[in-house]
Amino acid sequence: MEAIQTGFKSFDELTGGLEYRKVYSLFGDKESGKEQFLYKLVQSALSAKIAIVYTLTSKSYSELISEFNSRGININPYLGNSFKILDDFSRTNSPSATNNSYAKILNGPLDLTGLSVSLSTVNGDFIKDAKPVINIFDNLSNLLMYNNPVTVYRFLQFICGKAKLAGVTTLFSVDTVMHTPDVIETIKNLSDAIIDLKLDNGKRYFKISGISKEVLQFKELE
Amino acid sequence: MAEYKGLDGNEEDIDPYFGIAKLDEQLKGIPEKKIVLISASPSVGNEVFGYQIIHKNITSGVKVLVFLNRTSPQSYLTDMKDYDFPANDNLFILDAYSGITGIKSDETDHIKVINNPYDIEEVKSKVIGALGNGYGLIVIDSFSLLADFFNFPFVLSFIDEIKNAVVSHNSAAVLLFTDWGYEKENVDKLLSKVNSTIEVKGIEKRVIFGQYFAVLKCDWVKEANALSSVLFKAIKPGGIKVYFPKILVTGPTDAGKSSFIHSASKDAVSVDKLGGTIALDHGSVDFKGYRADLFGTPGQERFDPLLKMLGEEAIGVFLIVDSTKPEQFPRAVEMLRKTETYGLPVVVIANKADLKGALKGEEIRERLHLDSAITLIQTVAENLSTVDPNQPTKLKSEGINEALSALFKQLT
Ligand SMILES: Nc1nc2c(ncn2[C@@H]2O[C@H](COP(=O)(O)OP(=O)(O)OP(=O)(O)O)[C@@H](O)[C@H]2O)c(=O)[nH]1
Ligand SMILES: [Mg+2]
Repeated sequence: MEAIQTGFKSFDELTGGLEYRKVYSLFGDKESGKEQFLYKLVQSALSAKIAIVYTLTSKSYSELISEFNSRGININPYLGNSFKILDDFSRTNSPSATNNSYAKILNGPLDLTGLSVSLSTVNGDFIKDAKPVINIFDNLSNLLMYNNPVTVYRFLQFICGKAKLAGVTTLFSVDTVMHTPDVIETIKNLSDAIIDLKLDNGKRYFKISGISKEVLQFKELE
Repeated sequence: MAEYKGLDGNEEDIDPYFGIAKLDEQLKGIPEKKIVLISASPSVGNEVFGYQIIHKNITSGVKVLVFLNRTSPQSYLTDMKDYDFPANDNLFILDAYSGITGIKSDETDHIKVINNPYDIEEVKSKVIGALGNGYGLIVIDSFSLLADFFNFPFVLSFIDEIKNAVVSHNSAAVLLFTDWGYEKENVDKLLSKVNSTIEVKGIEKRVIFGQYFAVLKCDWVKEANALSSVLFKAIKPGGIKVYFPKILVTGPTDAGKSSFIHSASKDAVSVDKLGGTIALDHGSVDFKGYRADLFGTPGQERFDPLLKMLGEEAIGVFLIVDSTKPEQFPRAVEMLRKTETYGLPVVVIANKADLKGALKGEEIRERLHLDSAITLIQTVAENLSTVDPNQPTKLKSEGINEALSALFKQLT
């Protein structure tokens, strides 16, 4: 099977794309372009008939959809078909928010069991449908803020293990400035590959380690 | 007093109860002074067990306290309602969540707040203190989160305190626990301190294709080793249902197989032509805490090559015969052979007992050479005047229910 194209020409050419079944973590600070990376990846993967489970921990599903719309990404045809959202945020503000055909409302950052059950259910549905799957976590920061690191580590270890068994690719987005170095180190240890993003002089750069075609010096992301 | 009506409709009067088929039959509820641990795999979860136990008890007049640190009381209640388990005045919540997220929760008569859920002393004293207020049951959701927040030595000593409180107030406790792969030694200690452990797991390869619960231990039941694992589905709305994945419905042409499936389930589909089934029928049945998938075969002989495949993996059979057509009885038995289900638990349904010329049950038994241990139930159309020769017809629910009880009892 070919690797997953991210939609960034330089990234895809230099690295070959994201490999199936691997665990990636995406690091960068606020301005580094993590969301831009994720959204473009979503667009590119969906058009390549890959299914996506998109877990939100710090914005609601409706905010996510309007962000796609404002960037001109037409997500609507995929909603509920190959794009499903696990919204672990909405209930913090509106406790009675309920599910719809493409977004499942979860119980907030402490209910890691609920998140794990939903992931396994939605992954199972896609896999039974013979679709390749990516699990994207946008992002880990809220989980890390409310749970102690050991708990999050155990959780991630569990779901990454399941994802690998199921042939699912995983990508965590992590805001570098929000966490202590040891927490960052822990997440790196769980990942097969690490992508770093940065903004410099108005341009975005990436590097990646842990795959066969590593890019160890920052290269422009375009 | 909570009561449980099993497949027999017998009432028991020990409370509180699980409200979950099979668990209540095996364990006869949760006696006073006992602690039950429900330990789940993280990809299956146990929250619905919690909701259902709570609902069973609050609707039976048992006052229930939920110690809640997994989510906010509001979203907990929304979740319960989605499963069709609405709260009532018997439900009380000790909110150990809002203090973590900093989002203020208003205290009400039914929701009390733990201001600082990171404070071991406040958590302990509020829980133990509350147990003196006449609760028949306390549910801790989630107990593994307490272990995550504090540590195992704390939760182990906390169990001892809960136990003392539960014993002195004639209450009982249910602890919901997700096993994230904690150290075995710690988990073993935990298991040794509770009176009963129920394990909730998935059958999985690449995906989870089944879920089951099993009683690992129970110190108030003698034959604890007879407690085997039970497949279930968590249905929204509806909750935990003991699940029979495949029950076959077979019998001669026109006997009423499709009618039986349509009458027993809400969502039946048939592949029919001119009133006769040409491929199969399927319907799912919800009955007294059980969920079963019924698969019906065609009856016409030209479809016999399908029968073997349709019978594969069935765990029980409804054999439908037409009470007015004894000449078809040998064909009925032949169909058991052809579906390769001969010898599985079976209930014989003698349908069309409303028609003139219908044989009596005893006569049908004799002509079918039925062993006396096999249940035979006669069924009739609900309304004779609306029977359409080209359509399955609705059968009276008494007969259907009797038949379901009889087979499910053999399967559990
Ligand atoms: N009077 C009467 N008619 C019935 C009863 N049950 C079914 N029927 C009628 O009998 C006919 C056959 O019923 P089905 O349920 O289609 O029978 P089947 O066993 O599925 O038939 P095949 O799929 O062709 O093998 C239909 O016209 C029904 O309306 C009953 O209890 N009483
Ligand atoms: Mg039929």
